Amino acid sequence: MDKLLSKRRDRVGLASEVLLILVALLFLYPILYLVLASFKEPGQFYDPLAWPNSFYLGHYEKAFAKVNVMSGFMNTFAISAGSIALIIIVSSMAGYIIARMPHKFFQLLFYFFISGMVIPLQTGMIPIFKMGVALHLIDTRSFMILLYTAGAIPMATFMYAGFTKSVPREIEESASLDGYGRFRTYWLIIFPLLLPATGTLIMLNIYGIWNDLFGPLLYLKDPAKMTLMAQVVQFKANNQSIDYGPIFALCVMATLPLIILFFFTQKYMMRGLIMGSVKG
Amino acid sequence: MNNRSREWWTGFLFILPATILFIAFVYYPFAQSIYYSFTEWDSIRPAKYIGLDNYAYLLEDSKMLRAGMNTLLVTVFGLAIQNPLSLLLAVLLNRSFRTRAFLRTAFYLPVIVSLVVTSIVWGSILQYDGLLNGLLERIGLADWSRDWLGNSHTVFPTIIAMTQWQGLGYCAVIYLAGLQSIPQELYEAAKIDGANAGRRFMHVTLPLLMPAITIVVFLTIIGGLKLFDIPYVMTGGGPGSSSYTITLAIYNAAFRENTYGYAIAAGIVLMIFIMIVTLIQLRITRRREVEI
Repeated sequence: MDKLLSKRRDRVGLASEVLLILVALLFLYPILYLVLASFKEPGQFYDPLAWPNSFYLGHYEKAFAKVNVMSGFMNTFAISAGSIALIIIVSSMAGYIIARMPHKFFQLLFYFFISGMVIPLQTGMIPIFKMGVALHLIDTRSFMILLYTAGAIPMATFMYAGFTKSVPREIEESASLDGYGRFRTYWLIIFPLLLPATGTLIMLNIYGIWNDLFGPLLYLKDPAKMTLMAQVVQFKANNQSIDYGPIFALCVMATLPLIILFFFTQKYMMRGLIMGSVKG
Repeated sequence: MNNRSREWWTGFLFILPATILFIAFVYYPFAQSIYYSFTEWDSIRPAKYIGLDNYAYLLEDSKMLRAGMNTLLVTVFGLAIQNPLSLLLAVLLNRSFRTRAFLRTAFYLPVIVSLVVTSIVWGSILQYDGLLNGLLERIGLADWSRDWLGNSHTVFPTIIAMTQWQGLGYCAVIYLAGLQSIPQELYEAAKIDGANAGRRFMHVTLPLLMPAITIVVFLTIIGGLKLFDIPYVMTGGGPGSSSYTITLAIYNAAFRENTYGYAIAAGIVLMIFIMIVTLIQLRITRRREVEI
């Protein structure tokens, strides 16, 4: 009886697994279609099930001829890397103090950051645009970096404060006996111990910044400063009779770095999401 | 200077960069926005104070009302369909089987690909001579084919379906994390007490999953209310205003029509709305959370 039951359960399990795989393939199909179609000759482009005849690179050549992909890549990379570095530095310092200094002022600041999270970007965009113009920062990568950093501060500070609390105080006390000041203690002892939080924050922020359209659309008008996503949208808008081939090629190039990163960091990414969402 | 105040000043210096950035790019623009929302302002000529006129006009603006309706629809569908579906997916993915790693990756991939790219791919699939209609024709359902994004009746349901596809993996991963934090012993104890699978789900899984549910519902609401990229890239809000969302309407009011004061007023109403809805939501779902 038991055997029969477990056999039945096996079969149910297998059936649901097969079903899941089928659904997953349907789910993946648009992304697969994007990549495959970007290598298809124009004649087969819309054939949904066709494997590319040959490894056709014409769409990529066209995309490269019309869009400065390298500059887009460099801009996107510089903005993402710069923002994440700044997020890590300013938030870890703030989080450390909030966790370690019981003074009311710092605790109040914490709520000040958290309350700011509900303000949607859309309400501030026009004053921010004006400020950018006044400070001659509009159309610069630095302006984007400052904006992304400001947006990420609440979440990052929250996480760093949480992590700092799990570091034993004795470590700092012995450092101070060795004559370390606050800054040296933070930089040489605490910051390295916060590495898991730093990893999580990189994972949580990089996709949003790399893929963002709203910011570049508003604050980067100069084609030489455009990010990949802005280039994709611009390119599509300029293509009156939409020729999807080169657009797809551009999309693949804009997405590929993130997909590669995802495959290498998948494990940490999941862990990061877990820490960042459920326990954060 | 005594020791304690020196401590305080060091702390102050540590926290200063974050504070300055946050005031400069979040609170200061926000404070300015509140002022501008009471003015008629095109960003070139000086702002003219008009009291609550912008807010009153919101209620008469059919485009904005349509956008509000659509925004609510996305949010409601996210809560009613994507949310339970992602929980089901997480439960299925939580068992151990061979293809689990592949499946998790497959369902998560749409999340990391940018909305710009996915919007373009779906746009090409859904256009009149695109892939979907071709497929329908091939399997003998040619009657079903239509201009999915060019028809004012189908455009927004289609966009909703796409947001569900895009966000499902993210919600599922959060649920998966929640499921994994439930101790196995509780299930065994429930089994010994004679609880069947359904009761175990209702009385063990669901209550202990409440924190994850809180987060997913919160993210669904915020994401739904702020939806911008998909309609912006796929349809530009059209045809007519049938695929407008609030954020797209605000963007157009500001940067296409140069009615900045009005756009900001709409943004502030959106913010107040988001605050009220999420506060109510947190109250409801938080109360149901239980500690292990």
